[in-house]
Amino acid sequence: MAQGEVSYFGIRHHGPGSADSLVQALQDLKPVAVLIEGPADASALLPLLARPEMQPPVALLCYPEDDPASTSFWPFAEFSPEYQAALWAVGNNAALRFIDLPSSARVAPLEDAQDAAADETGAEVETETAPHLRDPIGALAQAAGYEDGESWWADIIEQNPEPGPIFAAIADAMTTLREGEGPLAEFEAKREAHMRLEIAAAREEFDGPIAVVCGAFHVPALQATRPQKEDQALLKGLARRKSTMTWAPWTGPRLALGFGYGAGVVAPGWCKHLWRTRGRHDAATLWLAMIAAVLRAKGHMVSTASLIEAERLARALAVIRERPKPGFEELRDAAIAALFNGEAILWALVEAELLLGADVGEIPPDTPLAPLIEDLQRNQKAARLKPEALERELSVDLRSESGLFRSTLLHRLNVLGVHWGKLTDAGRSRGTFRERWTLSWEPEYAVRLVENLVHGPTIEKAANGRLIQMISAASSLDALAALVQGAITANLSEASTVGLATLEERAAHSSECLEILASVPPLADIIRYGEARKTETARLSGLLARLIVEGGIALPYAARDLDAQASSALVGVMRKADEAIKLVEPEQDVLDAWRNGLAAVLDGSRSTALVAGCAAHLLYEAGHLSAEAAAGLIARRLSPGTAVTEAAGFFEGFFSTAGQRLIYDEGLRGAVDAWLKSLDEEAFVAHLPLLRRVFSHLDSMERRRLIEAVLGRARRLPAGLTPTPDGGEAWRRHLDRLAPLLRGENDHG
Amino acid sequence: MNAVIRLPVEQAYAGELQALARNDDRQKPAGWSLSPKAVLTYLLGGKADDGTPITPKYVGRRRLMETAVATLATDRALLLLGVPGTAKSWVSEHLAAAIMGDSTLIVQCTAGTDENQIRYGWNYAQLLAKGPSEEALVPTPLYRAMQGGKLCRLEELTRMGSDVQDTLITVLSEKMMPIPELNTSIYAQRGFNIIATANNRDKGVNELSSALKRRFNVVVLPLPEDMAEEVAIVSKRVGEMAGGLDLPVPKNVGDEIARVLTIFRELRSGATSDGKVTLKTPSGSLSTAEAIATMVGGLSQAAWFDGGKLGAEGLAASLVGAIVKDPVQDKLVLEEYLETVLKKRPDYAGYYAALNAAI
Repeated sequence: MAQGEVSYFGIRHHGPGSADSLVQALQDLKPVAVLIEGPADASALLPLLARPEMQPPVALLCYPEDDPASTSFWPFAEFSPEYQAALWAVGNNAALRFIDLPSSARVAPLEDAQDAAADETGAEVETETAPHLRDPIGALAQAAGYEDGESWWADIIEQNPEPGPIFAAIADAMTTLREGEGPLAEFEAKREAHMRLEIAAAREEFDGPIAVVCGAFHVPALQATRPQKEDQALLKGLARRKSTMTWAPWTGPRLALGFGYGAGVVAPGWCKHLWRTRGRHDAATLWLAMIAAVLRAKGHMVSTASLIEAERLARALAVIRERPKPGFEELRDAAIAALFNGEAILWALVEAELLLGADVGEIPPDTPLAPLIEDLQRNQKAARLKPEALERELSVDLRSESGLFRSTLLHRLNVLGVHWGKLTDAGRSRGTFRERWTLSWEPEYAVRLVENLVHGPTIEKAANGRLIQMISAASSLDALAALVQGAITANLSEASTVGLATLEERAAHSSECLEILASVPPLADIIRYGEARKTETARLSGLLARLIVEGGIALPYAARDLDAQASSALVGVMRKADEAIKLVEPEQDVLDAWRNGLAAVLDGSRSTALVAGCAAHLLYEAGHLSAEAAAGLIARRLSPGTAVTEAAGFFEGFFSTAGQRLIYDEGLRGAVDAWLKSLDEEAFVAHLPLLRRVFSHLDSMERRRLIEAVLGRARRLPAGLTPTPDGGEAWRRHLDRLAPLLRGENDHG
Repeated sequence: MNAVIRLPVEQAYAGELQALARNDDRQKPAGWSLSPKAVLTYLLGGKADDGTPITPKYVGRRRLMETAVATLATDRALLLLGVPGTAKSWVSEHLAAAIMGDSTLIVQCTAGTDENQIRYGWNYAQLLAKGPSEEALVPTPLYRAMQGGKLCRLEELTRMGSDVQDTLITVLSEKMMPIPELNTSIYAQRGFNIIATANNRDKGVNELSSALKRRFNVVVLPLPEDMAEEVAIVSKRVGEMAGGLDLPVPKNVGDEIARVLTIFRELRSGATSDGKVTLKTPSGSLSTAEAIATMVGGLSQAAWFDGGKLGAEGLAASLVGAIVKDPVQDKLVLEEYLETVLKKRPDYAGYYAALNAAI
């Protein structure tokens, strides 16, 4: 009877230290079979891991065929012991197997309630476990005062003064840790029972050493001898649900703990560094050099001399903390003191880039199935839309459920860069209840969907993930507001929640008035037309109110001493913001704050004339400036004491969209008239283009009525001036003759 | 009975230092009277090896003190940075006392400090009588520290002019000080080092040149993280100062301290205390020390002008003074804070009105 000798390797998930020790141990043991903690029914996919096209980080995805949203995943990084074990097994022709509960049992809902909860929060389906169970080595490290489990592993396990088998020491530690434990949760007990049975089966099958690679926590339980019948009884009646499995590219940041992956590592970037520099003595120096490189890329000056000092300090710190060599914390503290001038905040600046990394994995092109394409097919079926290469018009009624579903799907695909549908009535997407789309499917969209797998396994999750990424990269407030609008239109709640939070934070820090005001219209649109959920609407209107108040406060300062370009940009944004503010009808005190801002611009002696004119007009339109006051103001602003350019600026700011006012409002007209009369010829000619620009907003009827109003009933022009009855026509004729000359068509000679 | 108001700490805490030194057989850097580990125990409190209790001298993050001690254990100079009232000088004094048993080699840097007070001066009678010679040199604390392998403390480094600051560059990088007049140099003995303190967010200071900054390891001492801790510090100091100035302390002073500190902390940290609203931060430091000054100002106003009543009106002027250091930028910050935060808090209505009136 074949009886393989089993060795147990308790590892730390994604621990580069244990990966390194594991590879050495496998090299010494030369097992004929390697059994890894992972879903047993995915064993067939394992050899793919060793393919050269497979670039970690990648993840094994398992999802029920009918519900890709509840996907379980097993990520593998370059420094994951499981990945290294698989590589070793394939390279050395050892049998390679997963021995944990099959994914079909894992994705089967244990209780419906849990499933629902996972959907609600959008969290990844990964059973919440106690920290010591998830990462017992990290827990031990923390108990020993280490923030970083890897440094603890290196200091305590690998620097073991009595060099012995590392993994025996781990097994001992875990046995002690688990001694006082009560019975495990049912799911965990089942997993361990399954693994025991698989190991027993492997012993029967293989003749030679067998290596079991599992989380350190499980080692004592797997080593224990238990009657097989008990284990079999435990697994009886295990619910199963047909599941699909595939590999998907993964990203560095998604390996991190903060991103919802239960067995993740705190700092993938640090782990990768440890793995790449394993066995080298200058790992600490290289890490400091990486910090310096990131800092320099961000424009901070870091000298080589400072790096030397940082390393010396790290060593001194390690001595004081009685550690054999500087670890993560020592290097961080030393970098803060010697490279960052003591400013911990600078560390936060480089932290994300260093610790999370920006790695994106790759998978072989012939990997079976891609859940996003499957999900799209399912959605297409539900929406009753077929991908066709030929362009096709589609009109969607947003009031009907099916219409809304279609629109949401198309919006989400657009977020993913799959422009299957293009919105034809550009501009406001939900302004009306009807949307017009042009549909046309391109084959490369399938490829793009596979690329988007990084962001999530379903269209909804991937769109959320991608939008969140865009939101965190967005540089300005108005771009951010537009993204949030996009998230709400595509009904992506996670992204809109993140977006709103980011928006709130940015809004507080931005003192750029232009940016603040530019973000008002898209937000106002969301409130007016959006189908944002109630909680979001409340949050949004709070935010909007705050932005309006902030904009009002910042406006008088922003209006000072602007050049022509900046002032016309500000005026454009002000008008749009004012329109949006009027439409959303905020509370009175918010409205007052905005109007007070406008009034302050008007009063400010340093306010640019164009902006002041615009502010005056907006106040006048809002009824905050009576007709007499406005006329008085204009008369004063256009009076001879003011520089002509200033006066012209004010005039343009006020009248550029309010030419009609001159027809009806005698006071205003009188003031303008007086100003025009006061100009000498040179100034008048200089300002003619301005006057033309202002009056060009009037149609011919309005222009005639303005002339009548100016000339009174007499309808008589002063002597020497004759109005051309067909002025418009003459102008066109002139233009027709002028245009070819301007274009350089010289057909006269 | 000792008539000295305040003894140097190596005398005041002589018992603790002796207890720590008694059984300290760990390795010590050259010239140190305690091992780095024992220095840390002295600073952060605990027990000496023989069981003598050691009082904590610094309450805050352990990591920072570890970095500070580790810096001095190499031959790098240490710069303690922080806004006023974060115990920079206090830490510097205790470090020198614990490491060298001597905290008295100190240079108080001011705008009037010149090179002669940093490097060496001349005894002009001797100089005239004998010409340039060693006897005519007047050593400074820095000079003495280099000669004796001691720690030299430079208080408020950034207050002296940049040109004077830069005389330290050679001392720090080459551990020697040239005396060109005598065509000689003095070389620092093992154990010599510098602990400097400086304000990082104060007005009227000279920026450290990056050449000099690079020669220091910098530890930034933060303001108290915990509201309750800060309220306790302010209440204690305000009580003491009011006593010293013979100011009566009204009953509601506790509430007002809590309100003023809430405003200070929120503006300082850039977020409301419930973390829901992010705020802009003003250019001033809004330190604990300024909160104390604001409260004492308010008490004085109350005692002399407001009939003993302490309230928002009396405090508003000092508050605005503390917050608005830059007339344009900070005013904007305060206006925004008033409109978006304080306005919505009924129990701050008095502050909202008074501050609005004051700006």
